[in-house]
Amino acid sequence: MSSSKENKPHRFSWLRHPRHYLFFKVFTWFWLTIIGTFTALFFLSNISLINAISHDPLQGPMQKNLEYLARAIERSAHKHKRSINDIITHPRLTKRKLLYLNSQNSDEVLISKDVENNIDLSLLNFSKGMPPQVIFTEYYQAFGPMRIRVPEGEFELYEIDINQQRPLFIRLRLLPVWLKISIAIIASLTLSFLFSRNLIAPINSLKQAAIKLSNGDLSARAAINSQRKDELGVLGRDFNRMADQLEQLLSAQKRLLADISHELRSPLTRLKMATGLAQMQASEASQSYLLRIEKEANQLDKMIADVLQVSRLEANSQPLSLQAQSLQVIVDHVINDAQFEAKQHNKTLLVHGNVEVNIECDEMLIASALENILRNAIKYAQHTISISLKHSDTIYIQICDDGPGVPKAQLDKLCEPFFRQSDARDRLSGGTGLGLAIAKNAVIAHGGNLALSNKYAGGLCVEVSLPIQKREHVL
Amino acid sequence: MKLLMIDDDTGLCELLSEYLSAQGFSIQTAHDGQQGLELALQNDYALILLDVMLPSIDGFEVLKQLRQSKLTPVIMLTAKGEDFDRIFGLELGADDYIAKPFNHRELLARVKAITRRIEHINSVSNNNKKISSNGITVNFATREASINNNSLTLTGTEYEILALLMKHAPNVISKEQISEDVLGRRLASFDRSIDMHVSNIRKKIAEHIDGDKIKTMRGTGYVFIQGE
Repeated sequence: MSSSKENKPHRFSWLRHPRHYLFFKVFTWFWLTIIGTFTALFFLSNISLINAISHDPLQGPMQKNLEYLARAIERSAHKHKRSINDIITHPRLTKRKLLYLNSQNSDEVLISKDVENNIDLSLLNFSKGMPPQVIFTEYYQAFGPMRIRVPEGEFELYEIDINQQRPLFIRLRLLPVWLKISIAIIASLTLSFLFSRNLIAPINSLKQAAIKLSNGDLSARAAINSQRKDELGVLGRDFNRMADQLEQLLSAQKRLLADISHELRSPLTRLKMATGLAQMQASEASQSYLLRIEKEANQLDKMIADVLQVSRLEANSQPLSLQAQSLQVIVDHVINDAQFEAKQHNKTLLVHGNVEVNIECDEMLIASALENILRNAIKYAQHTISISLKHSDTIYIQICDDGPGVPKAQLDKLCEPFFRQSDARDRLSGGTGLGLAIAKNAVIAHGGNLALSNKYAGGLCVEVSLPIQKREHVL
Repeated sequence: MKLLMIDDDTGLCELLSEYLSAQGFSIQTAHDGQQGLELALQNDYALILLDVMLPSIDGFEVLKQLRQSKLTPVIMLTAKGEDFDRIFGLELGADDYIAKPFNHRELLARVKAITRRIEHINSVSNNNKKISSNGITVNFATREASINNNSLTLTGTEYEILALLMKHAPNVISKEQISEDVLGRRLASFDRSIDMHVSNIRKKIAEHIDGDKIKTMRGTGYVFIQGE
């Protein structure tokens, strides 16, 4: 019910304490791995492809080749008196190479063969007068300029390699560095997130199911994909099998409890009837024994009723019959009865404050909770029992006695069924050892809490807190 | 005075018969729902003690079918702590309930409270008294109520409550007083029985005329409204 509210995890709580969450660890490792892979790929591709976006000085054998070509063209122009145009358009040359000549003096440009429209060779003009370069553009690589002197004048020679790769890859390679990095980061973040969520989702589902189960919702199961073959899938299915088993066992136990108590009630009713009949005919001497039998039968009756109420409350199986009601009316009623009881024991009941608030509650349950606490207080008090009533967002009802109090180690156990701190005395006074257990469970069923503490001056304080806001979800 | 007890606990039936016979009642018993219902429909009993858990058909079903033709007073025997059973029984038209395991004195008090009314009419049947107010007439001699000459089918307890309220109008009658006068017992803490009976009366009146005839006085009780 609503007591599970504190346990409900915040959706982004892993952001607050990342180290406590497997999700974060897995996420980080995935992320780092992917980032590392991307970075390595990035550097490797740089090294292997001489990824010059614009140009680098031409060196080594490539430069030698270009020089050799330039000299060969000059030689054939001078020796064989052939025009430069003839030389560069000669099939033997054009078969393998695309040459581009840029006149030093005029704007004249010579090309060894026609190229496709999108190849813009005039880009190369920027390198006029520079030492030989390797120039890298989207569609081609150019080697040059290499100055040649022919009878027609001075030219700058470029050897062009049209890129065989698709323009897409080249364009990717030419993207600005920051863009590549952010793409890598976003991609790896998304992937890591998906990976880790895939791992964590079943764990979370298991966790939720476990919380619900521990809160008494026996129908809770982990939502695990039945196709999932990994350890988490196996764990989830095992968990669900365990929950099935648990539900079966508990419902069998509950049925047994209900059956036994029903069976106990029938002979108890008969016992009471028979006692009544005996009382009608019995002699004066045996009347006192019959009265004793009747008293014990009533005690049995009360114990059975209390056991049933605790087990129903603990199992959340008792539907609350909620009614909007002023709490003061209920409290007055209970205090009136208690006042009478206290007077019989020569003890005083002091009441401070009020709880004139309307709340939705099951009046029978709240009344029986308060009755049980008060009866307990009256039993252990020496002279006075003080009740203090307060309300703001929450209703506080504090009931204190001036008795011996309870050892600190036993405070928590007080609300357990059948726990008694001083055995012999209680049984004589007619307690069943279930009063505080009933009270606590009744208060919890209303979304409230029951806290026990020792007063400084001695004596036990029981504080009941109840939320005021309506709780529509609870039946 | 003839009583019918419908309960599958034969031992309890025997003991109860003996006990109530000693008190001057004659008791007939039935151990399952169907048999009990048939007996209840065939004979006129002063009172029926009806258990909830019964073989063949359960106590609620017996009560529901019985109420379609008869207004014999019914006391339900419910299990202690089963608030729902109690409320449901009263809604279906039970006159009162007693939680098992009960005390013999408690049972006798309730049986007497209900049967006393019948003795009471027998003794005063001569004076043909009636009260009429706000369109509703209560006839003390025949123990019947009517609205504008249409008879109102009230159970014994419902009739008693209505008559009590009308007799004392315009005074407010507290729930405690209603409980002691009509059910013959002190009203337990947070007992909603009287509210259930009054709600049943209101529903039955509303079938015939509009407007609430019985007003709830919060914290005090109920009052019958005389004028419009």
